[in-house]
Amino acid sequence: MAPKVFVPSPDRPPPVDTSGPLVWIRRNLFRDVPNTLMTLLGAYIAVTFVTAVVDWALIDAVWQAESRRECLDLVGRSGACWPGVFVWFENLIYGLYPKDQVWRINTGFLLLVVWMVPLWMPRVVSKVAIGLSAVMLYPFLASYFFLGGEKGLVWTALIAAGLWGLIWVWATALTETLTGKSVGTWLIGRLGRSGADEATQMRIRRGAALALFVVSVLLVAPAEFVEVRTQFWGGLFLTLVISGIGITFSLPAGILLALGRRSKMPVVATLCTVFIELFRSVPLITILFMFNTMLPLFLPAGTEVNQLVRAIVAVCLFAAAYMAEIIRGGLQAIPSGQYEAATSLGLGYWQTTTQVVLPQALKIMIPAIVGNFIGLFKDTTLVSIIGLFDLMNMARAVGEDSNWLGLFIEPFFVVTLIYFVFCFAMSCYSMNLERKLSAGRERS
Amino acid sequence: MTARMIEVRGLNKWYDQFHVLKDIDLTVRDGEKYVICGPSGSGKSTLIRCINQLEHHQEGDIVVDGIAVEKKGRNQRAIRSRVGMVFQSFNLFPHMTVLDNCTLTPLLGLGMPKAEAEEIAMTHLTRVGIAEQALKFPLQLSGGQQQRVAIARALTMRPKIMLFDEPTSALDPEMIKEVLNVMVELAEGGMTMICVTHEMGFARQVADRVVFMDGGEIVESAPPDAFFDSPTYDRSAAFLSHIL
Ligand SMILES: Nc1ncnc2c1ncn2[C@@H]1O[C@H](COP(=O)(O)OP(=O)(O)OP(=O)(O)O)[C@@H](O)[C@H]1O
Ligand SMILES: [Mg+2]
Repeated sequence: MAPKVFVPSPDRPPPVDTSGPLVWIRRNLFRDVPNTLMTLLGAYIAVTFVTAVVDWALIDAVWQAESRRECLDLVGRSGACWPGVFVWFENLIYGLYPKDQVWRINTGFLLLVVWMVPLWMPRVVSKVAIGLSAVMLYPFLASYFFLGGEKGLVWTALIAAGLWGLIWVWATALTETLTGKSVGTWLIGRLGRSGADEATQMRIRRGAALALFVVSVLLVAPAEFVEVRTQFWGGLFLTLVISGIGITFSLPAGILLALGRRSKMPVVATLCTVFIELFRSVPLITILFMFNTMLPLFLPAGTEVNQLVRAIVAVCLFAAAYMAEIIRGGLQAIPSGQYEAATSLGLGYWQTTTQVVLPQALKIMIPAIVGNFIGLFKDTTLVSIIGLFDLMNMARAVGEDSNWLGLFIEPFFVVTLIYFVFCFAMSCYSMNLERKLSAGRERS
Repeated sequence: MTARMIEVRGLNKWYDQFHVLKDIDLTVRDGEKYVICGPSGSGKSTLIRCINQLEHHQEGDIVVDGIAVEKKGRNQRAIRSRVGMVFQSFNLFPHMTVLDNCTLTPLLGLGMPKAEAEEIAMTHLTRVGIAEQALKFPLQLSGGQQQRVAIARALTMRPKIMLFDEPTSALDPEMIKEVLNVMVELAEGGMTMICVTHEMGFARQVADRVVFMDGGEIVESAPPDAFFDSPTYDRSAAFLSHIL
């Protein structure tokens, strides 16, 4: 007898009342009378607001004019007057940086992107080293692009170190992606010395690193950029420089301060606590002011500290103090059992801290840390108080131009959009990072 | 006579005014298995935590494998590297895979190359029957599996003594069995062990001596048969009737 043929039953659509967009809408937006009223009210507010903004910014806006007067004659105050922003746009982004040198800023930031790209390449394993090199070496390269000017011997070596780092990062990214080996191992393989003893291999690695450094020096030495003094820096560029340095400094410094505050050594703990409490209890604006006016008094007469440097130092210290408390919160969330397990496994203080405690603490603190970065980014607007022309201050300057006198709303609108884009990007990145780090580590 | 692995003499410890351990004397020889039991709060955990220096004592001497604990804690790491510890709450590192949990000490503590460290880790994971879970994260395992990983992790340090602090009291009955099996096997392999546990079947099977503590003191220390069949003190008898 032939076996019976199994006929799979056809799929049925799910019952109508349990799913589907219409059901969702009915359930969540029009469930009952109060719910429906709230939905309609919310929709009314949203529509009114959006149409008002669109009318002002696009439909009624003036796109071509020579001065604000012309705009006012055309549409009055009902539409935006964009020409003023167009004229000032380059200043909003680059400050008073000489126009023919602006490419240096663009290249500088592009280099950072190029430096970081390998961090997102899946087969690259040396991500920590690449990240560290971006923090430790990129600044030298970037500061020469931004500042230019005479470079002495030391300065040349540092810039060369920056270039060296960039080349190393990409060499690593390429060999790890293509062959799965680190640059050094790949190079030794190519030289046919894989069988050599460890000392020889080490010598080859050192030699290659040194040769690359010499090449970098030779490349860097002839480069000559005109000096652009920091007085001419401004706009988004200045905002990014200040907040970028503040952000990169605040994380490691905050970690050290937080560890110090929890230290068993009373002197270290007291010093860290005093520092943190001091800087946290004073508004940033006060710190900026103090550093700007009082720092020169403490320094030996004749030493000139650049105003931008003063602002950056103030921002860094302030940010580090805040970051320290966030990190400390994360450290406290790690159960003592983790320390005990690490200690009983024979790990020392730094091993326990870097391998066991910090990775867990930083992971739970990502939202707070990124929140702090975003706060810092926006707080840099305060540097206008000591006369630096950051993005915000530059926007204000538009309305003081005789042609565009009183044009404040439009530049602030644009600046708001710029801030939003940057902050929202950071926020998205933090959410993405959280998802990535928690994948597979929890019982789902 | 075999060497003395652990020697505790006149140990006294206080938490502020509270006298947790009172004049503790304890000698464990190479290969001996001790089971410590007693009511909650009697100081069992504190005693074994003093042995590997997770807690510091105020009076008395502790000698581990010939190394005397110094008050200043200068030889802490030497002592800890001889003593493996397994906790009631496993204390695995949740952000690392099971394998990484087990290679940590060989890599960082003993400075082995990666390949060798992984080999050692896999040997011990195989020994506790969990090799096929090596690439999972701890929270993806059951309690019994986690505790077995914790045992394997402690073993990667090549300890001479293993301390267990109620390793099975956070587990369901079936899981208790799998963990106890691993411990029995370890005992049969000749490891020196001190286990704080109330698993009396385990005590009967492997212990050379059962130590009963109460109120910070060692009330009674006897071979398991003697202890279970004819406890000397009323306090131990009452405790036994309670848990058996
Ligand atoms: N850090 C501490 N500070 C103050 N008192 C403590 C501390 N740790 C433990 N104690 C006290 O010391 C006593 C002994 O604690 P211990 O943890 O050694 O008991 P135990 O015998 O292991 O109990 P259990 O069976 O509940 O684990 C308890 O009364 C406890 O309250
Ligand atoms: Mg206990």
